[in-house]
Amino acid sequence: MLRGTANFEELARRAPVIDALNDLEPASCRQADVLQVMYEIATLHREAMLPPALHPTDPPLVSWLFYRCPASPWGSFSMAQTRIECRSGLRLRAYLVSSIVDNTTAADALRRHWGFAIHAGRIELHRHYDSTRATVVTEHGTILDVIVSDPNPLSPGDVQYVANVNLAHTPRGLRLVQVEPRYQVERLERGQPRVITFDSASWGDPRIEPVYPISASFALADIAIPRVRYVCRPDALAFDGTEAVD
Amino acid sequence: MQFGLFFELSVPRPFTADAERRVFENALEQARVADELGFDSLWVVEHHFLEEYSHSSAPELFLTACAMQTKAVRLGHGAVVCVPQMNHPVRVAERAAVLDILSGGRLEFGTARSSTWTELGGFAVDPDDTKKTWDEYVRVLPKMWTQERFAHEGVSFSMPERAIVPKPLQKPHPPLWVTVTSPGTELDAADRGIGCLGVAAASYAEQERRTKEYRRRIQLCDPVGAVNNRVATLNFLYCHEDQKQAGSTGLLMLSVFGLLNAHLLSTREVYPTRAYQSLGNLAPRASSDDGSPGERRAVPEGIAIGSPEQIIAAVKRWESIGVDSINFIVNAAEVVPQEQVLQSLRLFAGDVMPAFP
Repeated sequence: MLRGTANFEELARRAPVIDALNDLEPASCRQADVLQVMYEIATLHREAMLPPALHPTDPPLVSWLFYRCPASPWGSFSMAQTRIECRSGLRLRAYLVSSIVDNTTAADALRRHWGFAIHAGRIELHRHYDSTRATVVTEHGTILDVIVSDPNPLSPGDVQYVANVNLAHTPRGLRLVQVEPRYQVERLERGQPRVITFDSASWGDPRIEPVYPISASFALADIAIPRVRYVCRPDALAFDGTEAVD
Repeated sequence: MQFGLFFELSVPRPFTADAERRVFENALEQARVADELGFDSLWVVEHHFLEEYSHSSAPELFLTACAMQTKAVRLGHGAVVCVPQMNHPVRVAERAAVLDILSGGRLEFGTARSSTWTELGGFAVDPDDTKKTWDEYVRVLPKMWTQERFAHEGVSFSMPERAIVPKPLQKPHPPLWVTVTSPGTELDAADRGIGCLGVAAASYAEQERRTKEYRRRIQLCDPVGAVNNRVATLNFLYCHEDQKQAGSTGLLMLSVFGLLNAHLLSTREVYPTRAYQSLGNLAPRASSDDGSPGERRAVPEGIAIGSPEQIIAAVKRWESIGVDSINFIVNAAEVVPQEQVLQSLRLFAGDVMPAFP
């Protein structure tokens, strides 16, 4: 059974700080646009990109998850995440490499309460009848540009979103924080993705090399981000290192 | 009640040449012993690219070896993946016929469509198409086996008239099955008059519901060939006189298998589609995959891990809800030493099988 080999102390230097676990009400974003893009990535570094608590998938995958939220407790905001799909124990999870948020209030809340590693940037989602284009621009320039073509309508239940594990400094120490947004999908389309630009170094891991497109989905959904229920030690397998958060 | 073995051919890391050879040799020895002990069938999966979980990418070859080394046990393709990028239907029909001849008419023929992205993506298969291609395969295979000459114009393949030879020894053809993981596939089986090869751990209640629905519906079937009205389920077997010993060894096997299974990359996880409504592949999980990552998989109901008396009780329960046969996984990634696997088989044959004459 493969497991991560990343040096989590090194990762810890970039990890955000959570002052208190579960010190706020769940957050919700109504009528959000949710774009998820899945790509196979090069196998060479699949273990090295994950902390020892997590297991890589076969083949290894990156998922890019975009939210465009017109209303939230922090006002309207957009977010883009780069995640590596993985397993935590028996569970399907996605390890957050980093994220970009365009609203400082939202960024601060997501960082301090759910452990999102966040940088400032601009996120654009352009929806057309035949395609969708998503771009992420930061001080480093365009760090992600992806086009999704051939939209094909599906039923709301046909998509699956995987919970995050975000590495963060918590009052319990360095932990993988499980963030489990709930999605109430109203409309769903699947399309074919094509990555034009992906600056993996600017996202935080230059070893992520997209090699084969799998799918993209575009949904209209209500998103609820509940309180954190579980955290895991990054150096122990989930069966031994999981802690419930009261 | 009939009993079979179910081979995944899982290989522990590191993948040395010797590790793979040992798995195959151990499985062949288990097949020979099962044949001598009176087991009814041996089932071998077809999987591709699934490191550790299953190195059984050429089951027709493994089954041929089984055919040559056994006398009476029936040989189950469990199951052939019915998508053209992996297996052209003509080659499927030809290989099955040869295997049926070489085994003296002992072939049971399972069909499937694969459920992991690792496999479908590796062969550039569109997941939306697999149900359609499977359906086309199960309708043409009996014709290929029974008609002197065959021509076809279809969705996944077309061909001018040819004589597909040889023909199977069994007449009109080997029994057909379909693997059942997703809810509703038992209805597809019933509608086509083919056997229900359960490969997911179902509870007593769920299996009873599926079996009743299957039995009711198959009465009205539009058969694709000779009707095979049988229901088989999957289970895990470790039989030992000492319950505690049986539990510790058997549950270790179950736990390792569950972990390998949970780490498969299901199609549904990465490719939104109507064609895969469950994660499939032996151990369906909640679609949300909600909950604590610290939780281990619960022990399924009716598991055949325990003393002979405990296993008899579990099998009687399966029998009472209409199951015709149970296929057992007897090892996972070689965590159970081969001698203990063989002892378990012998004890099962000596103390459990006689309760089901």
